[in-house]
Amino acid sequence: MRQMTKLALAAVVAGVTAGAAIAQELYAPNLAYRTGPFAATGIPLMNGQADYLSMLNARDGGVGGIPVNAEECETGYSTEKGVECYEKTKGKAIVTQPWSTGITLQVLPKTNVDEIPILAPGYGFSPMMDGKTFQWAFNAPSGYWDAADMIVQYLEGKDGDLSGKKIVHLHLDHPYGKEPLPVLEALAAAKGFELLPIPVGLKEMQNQSAQWLQIRRERPDYVIMWGWGAMNAGAITEAVKTKFNMENFIGVWWAGHDADLKLVGAEGKGYKSISWSFPNPDAPVMADIKKHVVDMGKSQSNPEEMSGVFYSRGIVISAILAEGITAAQDHFGTAEINASQLRWGLENINMTEERISELGLDGMVPPFSTSCANHTGNSGGWMLEWDGDKFVKVSDLLTPNTDGYADLVADKAAEYATSNAPWPMNEECSAES
Amino acid sequence: MLYRTAGQFKTSYKSDQALFPIKQDAFLLGIIGLFVLAIFPLTASEFAFQTMLIPVMIYALAALGLNILTGYAGQLSLGTGAFMGVGAYACYKMVTLMPWMNPLVAILLSGVFSAGVGVLFGIPSLRIKGFYLAIATLAAQFFLVWLFEKWAWLYNYNASGAIQVPNLTVFGGYVTGPQADSIVQYYVVLGIVALMTMLCINLTRGNLGRTWKATRDMDIAAELIGINLMKSKLTAFAISSYIVGVAGALYVFMWKGAAEPNLFDIPLSFQVLFIAIIGGLGSVLGNYLGAILIVGLPVVLNLVPATLGLAISSAMVEHLNIMIVGSLIVFFLIVEPHGLNQLWRLIREKLIIWPFPH
Repeated sequence: MRQMTKLALAAVVAGVTAGAAIAQELYAPNLAYRTGPFAATGIPLMNGQADYLSMLNARDGGVGGIPVNAEECETGYSTEKGVECYEKTKGKAIVTQPWSTGITLQVLPKTNVDEIPILAPGYGFSPMMDGKTFQWAFNAPSGYWDAADMIVQYLEGKDGDLSGKKIVHLHLDHPYGKEPLPVLEALAAAKGFELLPIPVGLKEMQNQSAQWLQIRRERPDYVIMWGWGAMNAGAITEAVKTKFNMENFIGVWWAGHDADLKLVGAEGKGYKSISWSFPNPDAPVMADIKKHVVDMGKSQSNPEEMSGVFYSRGIVISAILAEGITAAQDHFGTAEINASQLRWGLENINMTEERISELGLDGMVPPFSTSCANHTGNSGGWMLEWDGDKFVKVSDLLTPNTDGYADLVADKAAEYATSNAPWPMNEECSAES
Repeated sequence: MLYRTAGQFKTSYKSDQALFPIKQDAFLLGIIGLFVLAIFPLTASEFAFQTMLIPVMIYALAALGLNILTGYAGQLSLGTGAFMGVGAYACYKMVTLMPWMNPLVAILLSGVFSAGVGVLFGIPSLRIKGFYLAIATLAAQFFLVWLFEKWAWLYNYNASGAIQVPNLTVFGGYVTGPQADSIVQYYVVLGIVALMTMLCINLTRGNLGRTWKATRDMDIAAELIGINLMKSKLTAFAISSYIVGVAGALYVFMWKGAAEPNLFDIPLSFQVLFIAIIGGLGSVLGNYLGAILIVGLPVVLNLVPATLGLAISSAMVEHLNIMIVGSLIVFFLIVEPHGLNQLWRLIREKLIIWPFPH
């Protein structure tokens, strides 16, 4: 009995000291999805994110000398689980990474109350660009409206005039797929092309024969795609089957997954995807990850995955987070920052060309900077093309013409704020960006 | 010994027909009442409110609604998720069109819309039974979710097609939206769920409940003894859909805060159906037990490895969780095919004669 008491006491003491020991860290949880229907696209992204941060922890002892605890909480892409994870982690988290438009929509209104920044790089609600309204949300470096604008720009650059052309917007019938419609509609009216949205229901993702039959009948000049998970593979195989000219098929950045294209291999040659990240196997950061993470056996990834677009995008996302943390640490003069200090940091990211190569990310992300009024940064991106084996860059850096939809951003942000009244605005921030 | 019912004589009809005629039952209910009214809300963290207390009650209410239809009246339905959606969208439209409306009134009224839709899709039940009826309600499921996607008026032409719950107040305090405190929402949900449960217990004990049970057990015999089958089936559809609709409104307004159409798709219907089946068809208590098992247990299981200090990746925890919950469901159904409610009933019977079983 006495021994039992001793043991129990020892356990309690150990627990208390362990609790004290873990206080020195930056807790940046990730609402990951390595299970469920979207796992195939989730895993490379999560691996990239995790590997970059473990590399920083191993090489530099974290960010600013404090290790980053990038604990994952599994959501399986389910909104319900996502909210559960958010509630579980929000106590000590300095950032939340919701990783799905559905979870973002649910968490977004709560952030003003909980005061935790949301980092949703390249996804979520496009008007989040308006930092005055969405104080706590960041979708740097580029949003969906930027993507829509850049794709249209690219087509214009290739073809000259778009008037009289027909463009199909093949999209997932979900908030995510509908997100670019306002901008595409505005562009269609301005440039005189005909826009035909074709939705793909969540249940029809794998079998899109009806949609592609319609595409064949309509004979569009271009098909642009907002697809995710199983929908991309379904669309690409169906396009190959119906002999659609892959040159005229363009996806958003989430529809540019190497594994989806590998299914069709050479037949997918010419398929394009706009992207704000690019895999550069020769970048110094890749060598560091190999040395500090992969060779130590701490990575869950494999060489094939590591050469892909999504893994490198995971790295870029973690780099953006680390950059926000660094900015906050420098400004506030403390290494152990809290959530609201990180908010300031994410508002003051300045990823110049020099800074990008200093971080060893050469050619992996275009330069951008955020401000209190602009939470997106509008980095722009490159058009990538599948050459039958891998994605290659086929355009110079495209930059979105944000003036074209600045009013739309302001309108939608104001609409969101009124329908969620009382909604606090960031009054300290001046209008110019 | 503990549960001895001997000596509890009833001297009036009123006391014999009380909701809980046995003293020990009432005592047990009092303890549960103390927990849900005071101990849980005062000790629960934000996490416990949002992932266990509130969702368990809402899912239990939805299952209760389904149980009226499937368990008591014997009409198989696979459209629960869509009827929940009708309630949620109706509530959303009411509070956005009429912002002066009390949100609690809106939630209670939203069930009226789903009751109407439920009756409409219940009409085929007059001609078809069993699996064939299930297919007819499945049509409701597909049609309504399609409608939530296509009818832009329902979500106020929002570009993303989702609905967002506005901040609404009752007597100066926020009850819905991100500004509302979890504890307030908890009490609102508790109040509405308790009210609906009382209503259901009394309905199923009364004339209407007996009519439903007769319809379920043998409809031809029921018709021969003078029960109007049309009335019996359609009231079951109406009352069941009303409760399901209220549960749907609570689901979005008191818990989720935002919803997209595919939230109300068939997986939600199945989840509610599983709760009803595992809890026990034809019971009220079973819905709560089922909801605790299906909604609450996975959340608790997720926390176990972290509290024990085991370093398992979160994806692995999720896989294990699915396996454990799945095998528990199979286990409970083997041990007691009639659900957790029946298990409790047997335990109680054994307790009554304990320690001298005959």
